Amino acid sequence: MDVPVCRCAGSQYLVGPTDSNIMTRIIPVVCALVTLLAGTAHAQSSSTFPVNGTPDARAELHVYEGAIIHVTADEVIADGHLVVRRGRIEAVGAGAYSSAEPVVRHDVSGKEIYPSFVDVYAGWGLKKGERSRWDGKPHYEREDTKAAMGWNSALHPEFDAAQVFVPDAKGAKAHRAAGFGAVVTHRQDGIVRGTAALVALGGEANDVVLEPEVAAWHSFSKGSSNQSYPSSLMGSIALLRQTYCDAEWYGQFEAPEERNLSLEAFNAEEALPHFFDAGSWLDVLRADRIGDEFGVQYAFLGGGDAYRRLDEIQATGGAMIVPVAFPTAIDVSDPYLARLVSLSEMKHWEWAPHNPARVAAAGIPMALTMSGVSKGEEFLANVRKAVTLGLTADQALDALTRIPAEMIGASDRVGQLASGLEANFLVTDGPIFEEGTTLHWNVVQGERFEFEPLERVAIAGQYSLNLDGRDLVLELKDGDKGPSGRWWPAGTAESDIDSLAGKAKVSLDGRDMVLRLIDDQEGAFRLVGNVYEGSRIIDGRGERPDGAWLEWAALRQEASGAAVASDEMNAAKAAGSEVEDGTVGPGPLLYPFSAYGRTQLPDQGSWHFVGATVWTCGPEGKIENGEVIVHKGRIAAVGQTLDPAAVFGKMVPELTRIDAKGKHITPGILDEHTHIAASRGINEGTQASSAEVSIGTVVNSEDVNVYRHLAGGVTAGQILHGSANPIGGQSGIIKFRWGQTPDEMLIEDADPFIKFALGENVKQSNWGDYQTVRFPQTRMGVEQVYYDHFHRARAYGEAWENYAAERKATPRRILRKGGGPKAPRRDLELETLLQILESERFVTCHSYRQDEINMLMHVADSMGFTLNTFTHILEGYKVADKMAEHGAGGSSFSDWWAYKFEVKDAIPYNGALLWENGVVTAFNSDDREMARRLNQEAAKAVKYGGVPEEEALKFVTLNPAKLLHLDDRMGSLEAGKDADLVVWSDHPLSVYAQCEQTFVDGRRLFDLEEDQAMRAAIRTERARLIQMMLDAPGADKRKPLERIPPHYHCDTMTEEN
Amino acid sequence: MSRLATLNLNAMKAPFLFVLLACTLGAVAQPNLTPGAPQSDRILILGGTAHIGNGEAIENAAIGFVDGFIDYVGTARNVDQKRYDRVVQAQGMHVYPGFIAPNSTLGLMEVAAVRASRDYQEVGTFKPNVRSIIAYNAASDITPTVRTNGVLMGQITPRGGVIGGSSSVVQFDAWNWEDAVVRADDGIHLYWPSTHHKHFEDGRAKLRKRKTYDQQLHEITDFFERARAYSDGQPEQRDLRMEAMRGLFVDGARNAQGATTLFVHANDAKQIAEVIRFKRTEKLDRVVLVGGLDSWMMADPLRENDIAVMLLRTHSVPRFAEDDIDLPYKLPKLLEDEGVEYCLQGEGRMPEMNTRNLPFYAGTAVAYGLEYEQAVRALTLSTAKILGIDETCGSIERGKDATLFISGGDALDMMGNDVRHAWVQGRDVALDNKQIQLYEKYKAKYDAQRALGGR
Repeated sequence: MDVPVCRCAGSQYLVGPTDSNIMTRIIPVVCALVTLLAGTAHAQSSSTFPVNGTPDARAELHVYEGAIIHVTADEVIADGHLVVRRGRIEAVGAGAYSSAEPVVRHDVSGKEIYPSFVDVYAGWGLKKGERSRWDGKPHYEREDTKAAMGWNSALHPEFDAAQVFVPDAKGAKAHRAAGFGAVVTHRQDGIVRGTAALVALGGEANDVVLEPEVAAWHSFSKGSSNQSYPSSLMGSIALLRQTYCDAEWYGQFEAPEERNLSLEAFNAEEALPHFFDAGSWLDVLRADRIGDEFGVQYAFLGGGDAYRRLDEIQATGGAMIVPVAFPTAIDVSDPYLARLVSLSEMKHWEWAPHNPARVAAAGIPMALTMSGVSKGEEFLANVRKAVTLGLTADQALDALTRIPAEMIGASDRVGQLASGLEANFLVTDGPIFEEGTTLHWNVVQGERFEFEPLERVAIAGQYSLNLDGRDLVLELKDGDKGPSGRWWPAGTAESDIDSLAGKAKVSLDGRDMVLRLIDDQEGAFRLVGNVYEGSRIIDGRGERPDGAWLEWAALRQEASGAAVASDEMNAAKAAGSEVEDGTVGPGPLLYPFSAYGRTQLPDQGSWHFVGATVWTCGPEGKIENGEVIVHKGRIAAVGQTLDPAAVFGKMVPELTRIDAKGKHITPGILDEHTHIAASRGINEGTQASSAEVSIGTVVNSEDVNVYRHLAGGVTAGQILHGSANPIGGQSGIIKFRWGQTPDEMLIEDADPFIKFALGENVKQSNWGDYQTVRFPQTRMGVEQVYYDHFHRARAYGEAWENYAAERKATPRRILRKGGGPKAPRRDLELETLLQILESERFVTCHSYRQDEINMLMHVADSMGFTLNTFTHILEGYKVADKMAEHGAGGSSFSDWWAYKFEVKDAIPYNGALLWENGVVTAFNSDDREMARRLNQEAAKAVKYGGVPEEEALKFVTLNPAKLLHLDDRMGSLEAGKDADLVVWSDHPLSVYAQCEQTFVDGRRLFDLEEDQAMRAAIRTERARLIQMMLDAPGADKRKPLERIPPHYHCDTMTEEN
Repeated sequence: MSRLATLNLNAMKAPFLFVLLACTLGAVAQPNLTPGAPQSDRILILGGTAHIGNGEAIENAAIGFVDGFIDYVGTARNVDQKRYDRVVQAQGMHVYPGFIAPNSTLGLMEVAAVRASRDYQEVGTFKPNVRSIIAYNAASDITPTVRTNGVLMGQITPRGGVIGGSSSVVQFDAWNWEDAVVRADDGIHLYWPSTHHKHFEDGRAKLRKRKTYDQQLHEITDFFERARAYSDGQPEQRDLRMEAMRGLFVDGARNAQGATTLFVHANDAKQIAEVIRFKRTEKLDRVVLVGGLDSWMMADPLRENDIAVMLLRTHSVPRFAEDDIDLPYKLPKLLEDEGVEYCLQGEGRMPEMNTRNLPFYAGTAVAYGLEYEQAVRALTLSTAKILGIDETCGSIERGKDATLFISGGDALDMMGNDVRHAWVQGRDVALDNKQIQLYEKYKAKYDAQRALGGR
């Protein structure tokens, strides 16, 4: 990224983002000037506080001199001074500083000074929301407050972090040790989280709250809310969208009928920068879609996997907050247990440290966060690791200072070293992002926090020690875990030292050295001595093992000490170079980032299949020894023998000939009813209607089942909402475009669908003894849910029509002044239902029993729309004639029954009877396993009821395409249709048929041969990563853990949190 | 690979008689569950391909059975037809031994969602004395829908806990469980604990085990050691659980008098390694692994330790994303090649109703490398051997029970599976079920409507 450079630090940043910010900023400055009362030792104690004793004015200047000062990443002063007054920077400049005022000088010559870091994602000083114990019962009402807030306890825009922020001394330590001087803290709880405060990592709230409201935070996680809604990711998305709608509507009124302080707070936060606690790249894209809809640009907290989809993330236009919590290696020494570690997890372990560099290189504005890292040293170490992997030191510094400050519009308070800003800076003994550099001080608001003294007393070396009349040699070493040592009698031969040496325990407490010499015979001599800087002598007193006091002195031998030091240097260098040499770059980036991912999407080929039995499922029927030509993602021609010249005219493209002699070609299979490839829940069953939610918002392109489906010849499907409620959610209709993003998978211009459901699931018959209060609990109630909702949807439509008419009738000048009618509230649920009434959205209804099927057709007839599809429809055979008359299709299981009371009359002949009666009939899976062999299920229509083979095949091709309104593009092999087709080894309805190749849009997305090569590649890549992991530090600590992928069916009620 | 030509049979297989019957009675006919009468006629099946079950096939075969036992297996050319009262023509068709569904809960469950109808899992951890056989509902509505696809026998297996209970082998044409028994209390079912922690990928809670694996292993070992001591000594006090374990410590093969087999349910490689160790340390003669997802990785020790595998449903998804996508499909082939003794079973989603798909699990295995007759064997003789009933069942061989069926086409293929006749111990099995009756009833309604010029 090209970072805009500000050479004259300060000037640009004095203009705050909002007026209110300027006000809050000026007030403390004024106070500080007017009064010199200060009751505590802190830099900016509030003047309003009464003082007990004599005030400490602290008006003197503190000057830090002689250091390399990094004003920003781009501006460095070689030998500069930094002047601090009362916790703020007074001046920064080159050379010496002189002043007539009282000055305390700090000699930091030879050191480097950096601005302290800023973390925009923190929860410091705020209590976490507490979730009440899960009791298995539904909680439809809000229970945490009865105040004048919104209806859902996952939304608390009114929460103001600054109001309850209390600095937590313990919690600040790790952040300071990592180099942070200020954080933006918010309560990490809920979907709408309220405002965040910019606070310095100091001691007293009145001093450290720099800006009380700098950001508004959002997420997809309901956090501590125990309210049932939302229970799924798509529910969270819908709730957030509806909140934007509600806020807009509410904002129209001076004196609203319903006082809703949550919405008022939500509207009041509009001008703040908006942040989204997203996580994986999929969630970043999902959040961005909401932002785009409501004109908000979020900055996103990522999950460390942005490297997988940089282009898409960049296209969001949002800045990224990137964690450096790189996963540690997993113990893969046990080859059986190692299987529990997925390839994706292993690859991420390798790739994660590269993420910051990749994000920065992609030009995405990036801030780094400590989130996920508990120790300060670990944070710095990880940033340094990222720097060795391509993140430049300037990018790293920007990501820790300038960019986070800019993100919250607080560049005039933190993030660089300039006059007027908080005196938050770091003192190091070298470039901060270089291995081996020591962070000495983190100065926060002028207060120094020391981690390592500027000058460390050097004690390493060999000493001649006179102890109680004995001449000994004492050897002391500096190590990572502090000094250590050993001793032996003077004059011992070099070769005997190792065997004769006794242990010496050493600790340094300031300048006191505490020595414990362990003598195997006598016991421990405990000595305390003084160390003098620049002196070779250590002397002091001590106690013998028998309790008698003694005096001792040690004199350092120059030469050998230097030798020890240089040995260590060499060892460190060697270690360093080894790390660098070992970096060969991460393995290939796969799309998706898992097993069977590819490094790039296969091209749309131009193919000429010859010699196959072609099951067109179209008017041409079955063509023996037939041919198919595919070009630019479409079927160019199908026939007995095809002449490319006749197909293309003069411009014959280069065609890849595929000899399919003895093979069978069919259209790609469509699965009318699936629940794969959806993230975090397929049911929002917490209300009788959840028409506002959409599976389309939570498509998961990374689900390996997509590839497995392709391997079964399945090329498209409808990901349906579950069947937990009478009115479910909207569908996601996708092609199984393995390797593409969720948005790319969604079928362009597909008609929108929605799931309805009837029977045992919606009346919660099998959900245990607690789920007995939600309306409806009987089939009688189910009907009323529909009438109620459709009547309300109609009224909703009328309200908008009236509004449009009134607005039209209102003179323009009144409209210009903001007058005229108030817009009705946009209701995402009723809006969806209205689409059904207006035949703009189509219903797929989960159904079993004839009575309820009949009922719903009556509802639809009386409300003036047609039910598109009954799915499952296991008693459809009892009302097949009525379904045909109504115009509904049936999408059934081939042979399922006996799993619920309502399917006791289900028969495998259902498909045949529906078909015979003129119902458009399909077989679906509702099951990730069965979907892999839907061709076999179609064969059961031949077995049970004698449906002709070609018609049976249509049960999984053309007929589901018709039910999804995609038959103009899919479901049969006809010129002009999408090139979604399958090459089978055998008769496609035979149990012996293997799917050999699957094409989607003319791309070969499954190929038996390629599959074999991929298996080998997976094995090789795993083996490589396992070898790396075995050698990685700390690899014995993390045990493999089996991850059980979710397996969704209609009645899966998965909690998102 | 010898594949059978698939036959396209569009003919209505249910006899017209049923329609007539339904119309005459004018009411919903109850499923005709009348079990067949003991064989009185001497029957000869003539022609067709006989799949013996032992890996062999006979073209243009002749199979005779008398008093419930097979007395002739050979070719049609050589048979003395006059010895038989009735000849069933099977030209162009296929004859198979009745398929056996091991590790099944058929008859212990009627409607999965209805608690009152679920009888497959008793409470408790160690309950070898809990017996499935006395809860086996011989009149289940599901069983007749299973027979019509050629599955004629099963091992009815209790679930849950560490020791789920005692299974029994039954045949599917019986008045009651006493009639149904082929081998009572054939085995004890041990559900091996997981060796490692798991959690859900979508963020749900970790599955925390209440006990560590070592603790659980200790409890199992302890229980077996006590049981052996009980079995070897002269107990003063009767202990029902220990009594039920006695058969495990009888020496000999699976069909030895008084012997029961330990069926250990485990899938993970580490578990399997533990099971093998357990068999050795507890000196158990008869151990069968049920599930065995990872058994292909442990082929050598399984074979060397004489442990057979009841392989999980081939129609399963692979466990790990990086697994070969066809791994469950080709597992039978992998074990066949390694010489591990195995058979097929159908545990999984909705196992009871899916029992009728057992033949197709074998069909898929053929698509992924298994020889056809090997696949048939994995549904018949291999299963019978593993259940210790191969002296009387599992293949079309002289002297064995006449439990067999004729299919119009290839019974392992959906399009060919068309059971025309079935016999259990020589009794003619009624190939009717509730579903066929409902089909006929509604088909008649619509046909009549159409005939009247209605829709």
